[in-house]
Amino acid sequence: MSKFSVKIFLLTILCLASTFAALTIGPASISTQELISCLTGVCQNKVTEMVVWQVRLPRVLVGLVTGIGLACAGTILQNITRNPLADPYLFGIVSGAALGATIANITVANQLTIALPLAAFVGALTSVTLVVIIAKALKSMEQLLLTGIAVSFMFSSISQFLLYLGDPFATNRVIFWLMGSLARVEMSNFYVISTILIIALVIIVALHRQIDALLLGDESAASLGVNVDKLRLLMLALCAALTATIVAYCGGIGFVGLMVPHIVRQVIGVTTLPLIIGSALIGGSFLLWVDVIARSALESAEIPLGIITSAFGSLFFLLIMYRTRNN
Amino acid sequence: MSALLCIKQLLWKVNGKTILNNIDLSVNKGEVVGIIGPNGAGKTSLLRCILNQQKEFSGTINFKGKDINHYSAKQLAQHFAVVAQKATPIFALSVFDVVSMGLLPHKTLFSFNNSQDLHQITLALEKVGLTNELHSQYNHLSGGEQQRVLIARALVQKAEILILDEPTNHLDVYYQHQILKLVKDLNITVIMTVHDLNLAAQYCQRLVLLNKGKIIADDITERVLNPEILTEVFRLPCQREQDPITNVARVYFHLANNITTSDNKQLNTSKDEQTAVISHE
Repeated sequence: MSKFSVKIFLLTILCLASTFAALTIGPASISTQELISCLTGVCQNKVTEMVVWQVRLPRVLVGLVTGIGLACAGTILQNITRNPLADPYLFGIVSGAALGATIANITVANQLTIALPLAAFVGALTSVTLVVIIAKALKSMEQLLLTGIAVSFMFSSISQFLLYLGDPFATNRVIFWLMGSLARVEMSNFYVISTILIIALVIIVALHRQIDALLLGDESAASLGVNVDKLRLLMLALCAALTATIVAYCGGIGFVGLMVPHIVRQVIGVTTLPLIIGSALIGGSFLLWVDVIARSALESAEIPLGIITSAFGSLFFLLIMYRTRNN
Repeated sequence: MSALLCIKQLLWKVNGKTILNNIDLSVNKGEVVGIIGPNGAGKTSLLRCILNQQKEFSGTINFKGKDINHYSAKQLAQHFAVVAQKATPIFALSVFDVVSMGLLPHKTLFSFNNSQDLHQITLALEKVGLTNELHSQYNHLSGGEQQRVLIARALVQKAEILILDEPTNHLDVYYQHQILKLVKDLNITVIMTVHDLNLAAQYCQRLVLLNKGKIIADDITERVLNPEILTEVFRLPCQREQDPITNVARVYFHLANNITTSDNKQLNTSKDEQTAVISHE
């Protein structure tokens, strides 16, 4: 068994164990035996059955695919832009989603359950489309990240202006949603996110050699027969769709896409295939444990996920800068 | 014998400025052709046209009798391998990662490395003398070793023409000779741009001298390294001698006062500059 296979095997075990542990940990204590019997369809206690199937399982599965999705999107964005600081949230996705959510809050506050994720999704995609159009107009796809930051600020300023003029309750709702949470997710959210995730992963695996070729520069990739602009646009669209779907259901969960690929590069490798497998396994496990902390750290309330990931992420960001300086 | 690569009446203008002017060039199988000329002569532009990376030109470029526009980017990559001046990856790619990129033009979607691919990569690294560096980090290698890794990648690409753009630019004298000897010994068709005329003389069978987008001379090395022509193109007086060891032509350029070129232009240099002597090795 090669070193790579051993690492992937261990990470798979970690991911499965994290999923299992996340299902047992929470305000209602569920033993391993109870969990196994409930999952195999012979649950003896009705309350436990309800907690497992209607509360924990949707939350854990959505947490798992959210972690996988954000980590994979970060991996691809960093590789196609050759920028170790690229993150799905730096391309204006969250600010676009926030603008969508703000408009939904102001206009159709009564039907917010459906309108908010839908408006957030449309806002996120609008923002990314705008980033790509501007980058193409500037004829500099390499400056995608800077364009993303500019568009981010633009969308944020519009959101803030609307919230400033609008209802204070709407402001609270949007701010709370932006902090990210898995508290209100349903099984249907898992189906939607995992469908988009599977489509994205299949396309990434199909094109893994082309994405790798970009690591040595655009000209080098072009000399190997890669249509650099088309590939970059396709990958950006995939990452945008994936992140926008996640943001629409779970709100803003920053820094997962930035941190996880860096850890995987140190442990497994830098080319697309090992990186995407490692990121998926570590990203999924990471978010499950963040959610466990979020729902069990305080007795009276849940901590929004975005607060925990941002705390980890900012420290990690400083660590990257320190290491870069030392290298 | 029909040429492997045949360029006819190649003309490329950007905003009214002529970059390449009526280039006619044929390259036969197995030739090692050096493209030389001063900065801005159009050397890299010519390579870009050959690789179809620059499409706004008039004239024709045929590879194996077929217009290169009729080849897909993938097909072109199966026939032309490129070794650039320098590649600096941001992430810690291994030598294996870089060399296996050469397999890309021959692979389909969803394809993974098989034992034959691994054998091919090992063979290529053996040819460039880097077998032991398979798992080393590319960024940790010396400039010369990095160039050899890129040549190994080109070998894995199994292309018929190897294109090198200033392959020795960042290298010291030892690696310059090592890289060019390696390229020459590969026994494949090579087109490369070279700044150092004496290196070009030593390792190319044929030289194409470009100036202001035009071919000034295209012949065997001995005939192209003509002091009169070089004086005019490089605007410096040129002297030539035979290298006593390799018996290859060597040229020297000197800064001097009041040089007159054939079009009666005066080249004036300062007194300080007169003391400087530029040798091309």
